[in-house]
Amino acid sequence: MRGRKLAAIVGALAIAAVAVMVAGPAGARSTASSASCGTVTLNEQAWAGSTANTYVAKAVLEQMGCKVKITQIAEIPVYQALADGKSDAVLEDWQHVAQYKQYITKQHTVVMGGPNGVIGHIGWYIPTYLMKAHPAFKTWAGLKGQESLFKSPESGSQGMFLGGDPSYVQKDQQLIQALGLNFKFVSVGAEPAQVARWSSLYKQHKPVIFYWYTPQFLNTEYQLSEVKLPARFKGCQDDAKSGGGVKQYRCAYDNTIIEKVFSKKFATSGSPAYPVLKRFKWSNEDQEIVAKWIAGDHMDPDKAGQKWVKQNKAKVAKWLGK
Amino acid sequence: MAVAEAAAHRVHRHLPAPWWRGKAGAAVLVVIAMLIAFLGWRNHWAWPAALTWDSLSPYLDRFQVWLSDNRNLPHPNVVFRVFNGFASFLDDLVSWLTSLFHKLRWSGTSTLGTLVVLRFGGRRAALGTLLAFASFAALGLWEESIETFALMFSAVGLSLAVGVPLGVLAGRSSRFNRTITPVLDAMQIVPAFAYLMPVVILFSVGPGAAVVTTMIYAVPPAIRITALGIRGVPANTVEAATALGATRWQVLAKVQLPLARRMLLLSVNQTILFALSMVVIAGLIGGAGLGDAVTNGLYTDPARAVLAGAAIVIMAIALDRATEAMANRTDPARRHLTAEKSHALRLFTVACTAAVGLAVGLGYAFHAGAAWARWTAQDWLRQYIQHALDYIQNPGTFLFRDLTNPTGNYIVEHGIQPLRTFFIETPWPATYLGLVVLAFLISGRRPALVTALMLGLVGVIGEWATAMDTFSQVLVATLLTVIVGFVLGVWAAESRTVARILRPINDVLQTLPQLVYIIPFIYLMPVSGVPGVVASVLYASPVMIRLVQRGIEGVSADTVEAATSFGATRFQVLLKVKIPQARDAIMLGVNQAIIMVLAVVVIGGLVGSGALGYEVAQGLQRNAFGQGVIASLAILALGIALDRVTQGRGAARARSET
Repeated sequence: MRGRKLAAIVGALAIAAVAVMVAGPAGARSTASSASCGTVTLNEQAWAGSTANTYVAKAVLEQMGCKVKITQIAEIPVYQALADGKSDAVLEDWQHVAQYKQYITKQHTVVMGGPNGVIGHIGWYIPTYLMKAHPAFKTWAGLKGQESLFKSPESGSQGMFLGGDPSYVQKDQQLIQALGLNFKFVSVGAEPAQVARWSSLYKQHKPVIFYWYTPQFLNTEYQLSEVKLPARFKGCQDDAKSGGGVKQYRCAYDNTIIEKVFSKKFATSGSPAYPVLKRFKWSNEDQEIVAKWIAGDHMDPDKAGQKWVKQNKAKVAKWLGK
Repeated sequence: MAVAEAAAHRVHRHLPAPWWRGKAGAAVLVVIAMLIAFLGWRNHWAWPAALTWDSLSPYLDRFQVWLSDNRNLPHPNVVFRVFNGFASFLDDLVSWLTSLFHKLRWSGTSTLGTLVVLRFGGRRAALGTLLAFASFAALGLWEESIETFALMFSAVGLSLAVGVPLGVLAGRSSRFNRTITPVLDAMQIVPAFAYLMPVVILFSVGPGAAVVTTMIYAVPPAIRITALGIRGVPANTVEAATALGATRWQVLAKVQLPLARRMLLLSVNQTILFALSMVVIAGLIGGAGLGDAVTNGLYTDPARAVLAGAAIVIMAIALDRATEAMANRTDPARRHLTAEKSHALRLFTVACTAAVGLAVGLGYAFHAGAAWARWTAQDWLRQYIQHALDYIQNPGTFLFRDLTNPTGNYIVEHGIQPLRTFFIETPWPATYLGLVVLAFLISGRRPALVTALMLGLVGVIGEWATAMDTFSQVLVATLLTVIVGFVLGVWAAESRTVARILRPINDVLQTLPQLVYIIPFIYLMPVSGVPGVVASVLYASPVMIRLVQRGIEGVSADTVEAATSFGATRFQVLLKVKIPQARDAIMLGVNQAIIMVLAVVVIGGLVGSGALGYEVAQGLQRNAFGQGVIASLAILALGIALDRVTQGRGAARARSET
């Protein structure tokens, strides 16, 4: 009984399926592949600034008729991706010198793409309200003797210096020692955690001093002021990983020229996207505003990219070589 | 028999001597000695440079450079080409699966998934699967979910293909089992961050590398549980089969494997859950899918990270329930197929196939996209999550100002900081000897020897201070986990309602990426160390709860009845009968809790616990391979020592009772 009923249903379904399958593909639209440029793969890093320049580049390339794929591979592993041609370009690279030496100079699997126009700057920052209350904090020497103002539960009797994301170039432990400041270096981990910590203190109008940098979209949201560190001298180091005594770190961080890096395979492929990405160059302000649209106002990254492209026709025309 | 004897033993041992004359007293003495050393010679004895071997790290760094240089030659060595070939095979496999799901359209994919579960797992599980698909659509993460599913499907399939045969081997040969156990320990405890870079150099980035990384973590449970299942087959059954003239292969195929069926299915189930916990890490090296959505969301859009985390949990729970249902439904011992029934089933299969075809066809006919992209509730949900996050991020609220912030500060000032200072600043010989003697007192000579070796290793590789820092935080986290897990586990064993409420919570905590549930805590308790401890406690408690619950529920009803008939109240029964009887299960819970706490050390490093976790994370992110490996070795050494010490007690008792 049951079996027959089931068989009937099966039969009906099968016939319907066949009918639809035959009719289906005819109705499906076929999308013609659009341009000679093919697919370009851009790698986006986790932070908002990188999302900003990646999606602006995507909008420009799509205007040219390229298809753009976006990968999200971490900063160091992405070099292997570039070497293998699995990713074509990284538009924001904070001077990974060891990788340049290995992949660009020695192996010739990755090529430099020139600066993307953004100048990175790392430093010690405090909230502006604190700077107004203590004008002496304009330079590091003004901090001396005042460290206990920055006390926190984990710093004991010392003041707390809030360190940066462990993946960023830093030398604050060495600097604190070299400058003879009574700070305890406290790391609260990755950038989102660090932001959580200082922004919470900021909202409570409490004192805080921390590792921070520009360009950063949060700088449009919070009023921060920089503490001046000793002037740079020849041979002064910025990356604590380079070892040596603390003396050679006793200077302000150097400005970082943000680079673009491309896969060698992409650079030699003759893709029309390559010269455009090579000419891609904008400013700190450009990057901060787009990053703010995306991370601050939660605008869709694609829409943010297109919006900027629409508003900055002259700059884009230059990249396009017009 | 054994229980009665053990009980008699305990009475015998405990009555005459007061506690301070026993091991507890000795342990207190050791701690007092360590405290005296701490107060008297604070900061005087750091681990000496003469006992440190620091050329390991540069050597490891050079190895990585060598690997990369040779891999990226225009014509690499055949070994590298083999790795490369394997990687492209995996890449192809995953992208083939993804494009298959795309070709099926969203309509076909969801119908296929639901009907497969319906056919083999029954109505309830199928409904769960359908709901899972619906929620991927509603969350606006269809595409990401499909990518992750394809990745997980390949990784789990390959993990089982590797793990089950090895597990069978380990189950049949105890020598092989002994050899492989430390390797499996290492695979589970060494954080993925440490070996991510070599994996990327050998397998490049992309789904292939993601599958390999996932497999490293997901193969061990497959091997372990399979081996457990094979060993669990009664020896006399195997003997009987051999006596009847069965060959080794026949014994395996007809006796051991069928009888270990339930364990094999449990291993499938656990492999799936372990694999899913690697989704975020896989995202870092091109695994795409939900993992990317979590990582990038953390920086630019935390609400989206929460949604992606929810999708991972939903996928895990749906797969868990579906595999469990299929295991029960297809158990040959339970179902009795008549000819008519199997005929109906066959028809049903055909009907399902046709229905899938129909869904695919309809999908094409009505231009359904490859992925669901019509209506989603993402924006609506995001708004609510953002509201919650805004509340959490506001330091002016009652919750933050009067509750969580002071609590967090209290834990740091009175728990984490003093303990950390104590372990780091006590002269190392005192800490070293003290810990070894404590290990001896807790579980005997062998574990003490292991502890001595492991602590020595930690010192020699130059990680003494950082390891002590991590160790102090692991202690705090384990202590809290044991308290929370014990109380909730006992409660769940005593009350059905509590058990029913806790089960889904435990599932969520075990599968939600830690980075997601840690978001509220980095805002609510913004003080370094606390979010890491919270993450560990939340991740490790479910295991403790489950083992305690199972242990207490497993106490024989006769014993409980006997106690009740003597007039014991429910509370007395619990305290004097059930808990003492469940001691082994509880100790196993403690042991597992420690291992789980150690598994979260790296996540702790990302949210401010510093020490070893920070060094491992930095190792990957700053291209310091050697540093990452060495810090991971220290974590592994701590893990092995703690594991042997906590396991030793159970093992010793097990020996004395049999």
